[in-house]
Amino acid sequence: MSTGQALQKKTWMRGPSTPLRGALLALLLERPGHGGDLANRLATRLGETWKVDTNDVYRLLEQLAGTGLAVARDEPKRGNHGRTHLVYHPTESTSAALSTWMETLLPREPVRLGLQAKLAVARPQDAPRLLVALKAYERECLVLAHLVFPTDGEARSWAALCMDCTRDAISAQLQTEVDWAARTRQRINEYLQRRPSALTR
Amino acid sequence: MMQLLSFTNATKAYADGARALRVLDSVSLDLARGTSVGVYGTRGAGKSTLLRLAAGLELADSGSVRFEGRDMAGMTSGERAWLRRGAIAFIAAEDWRPLAGESVMDHLCAGPLGEGVPVHQARLRAQRALDQVEFRSGAAAETAALSLSCRSRVMLARALVQEPRLLIIDEPAVMPSIGDRDRFYALLRRAVRERRISLLAASEEIAALQGLDVLVSLAAGELCSTEPAGVVVPFPSV
Repeated sequence: MSTGQALQKKTWMRGPSTPLRGALLALLLERPGHGGDLANRLATRLGETWKVDTNDVYRLLEQLAGTGLAVARDEPKRGNHGRTHLVYHPTESTSAALSTWMETLLPREPVRLGLQAKLAVARPQDAPRLLVALKAYERECLVLAHLVFPTDGEARSWAALCMDCTRDAISAQLQTEVDWAARTRQRINEYLQRRPSALTR
Repeated sequence: MMQLLSFTNATKAYADGARALRVLDSVSLDLARGTSVGVYGTRGAGKSTLLRLAAGLELADSGSVRFEGRDMAGMTSGERAWLRRGAIAFIAAEDWRPLAGESVMDHLCAGPLGEGVPVHQARLRAQRALDQVEFRSGAAAETAALSLSCRSRVMLARALVQEPRLLIIDEPAVMPSIGDRDRFYALLRRAVRERRISLLAASEEIAALQGLDVLVSLAAGELCSTEPAGVVVPFPSV
């Protein structure tokens, strides 16, 4: 499959590892690195709530290389003459793929994690795409919250009470998500108001 | 189709020290006759400002707020106050001002009597409203001694007595029990459905607004809606 086809079909944006693949693209664009280096940088950027497995990172880098979004070169290890390791570099398609990921909400993706990964590695020029993605996510959560059937406050059985409690849990989770998305948009907008030049960097 | 209430690029800012704090930023929202819209937002998000603009208690700095096609800004303050005594009922928790010794029935009849409605008709309206909020037994109770839950029901009854076309309700009360809160909103939904009143309700809790036709969130002056802009939701068939 050619790089063009791979990008067109966005095969790399399928599956639960998509946020990690997207974040790796951003890290590659910042600077090339070998698998261990990229795994460390990824773990630092995504924070404690992510369990970044180094072996997974190697596997994901191979996948990205297979779709033409990264290229691996055998390069000498620094300070260890004669020995080499695989260093991953971005390709000419990497930046466009990263932009596409930034503005795409994937229905089967654990969405907030996906957005968190984007926020962790976003470039200033990604701000408009992030704002679009956050607004879409806010609306998606609002639509889901709207679908929750209201209770009438008079649970007549234990089963009805459990149902009410479940609905309440869903509503509370979605409300938190709506608040988080709105607050994040507000933070980004306020930053852009203070530093409008950030977009043109 | 003429909307009952229509916000078009409505903007409202308040002074925050030396700078202007934009509470509503070019907000557009349509409310068709007989439909209900819930406005969700955290404290300070601008919900109350949106509702006060809808009730004509404040005017937009730019853009327009129209009720039945008439721009609120084009009305006199007397015309807007007249609307709030009839076509638009506005309920906010801070507006609860019971009088010493006043009964719930007297409290409910005060509005219609002030508009020249005959006593027996005012009492009939009040009785019907108390039935609707399931507080028939409270007619003789003293308003100053009501529990939070009963107070909210009486406030709703007072709005219903007015026989409005639009009911605007701003977080009516902090209920001591979740069951009381859910029961109140169930009564509210049923009342507006049965009386075919349009509803604009605001709350800090999404759960309180479930079951309404449209849900919107308000943050940083910007609206996010479950409905695409311009979509009119028809009144559900009963």
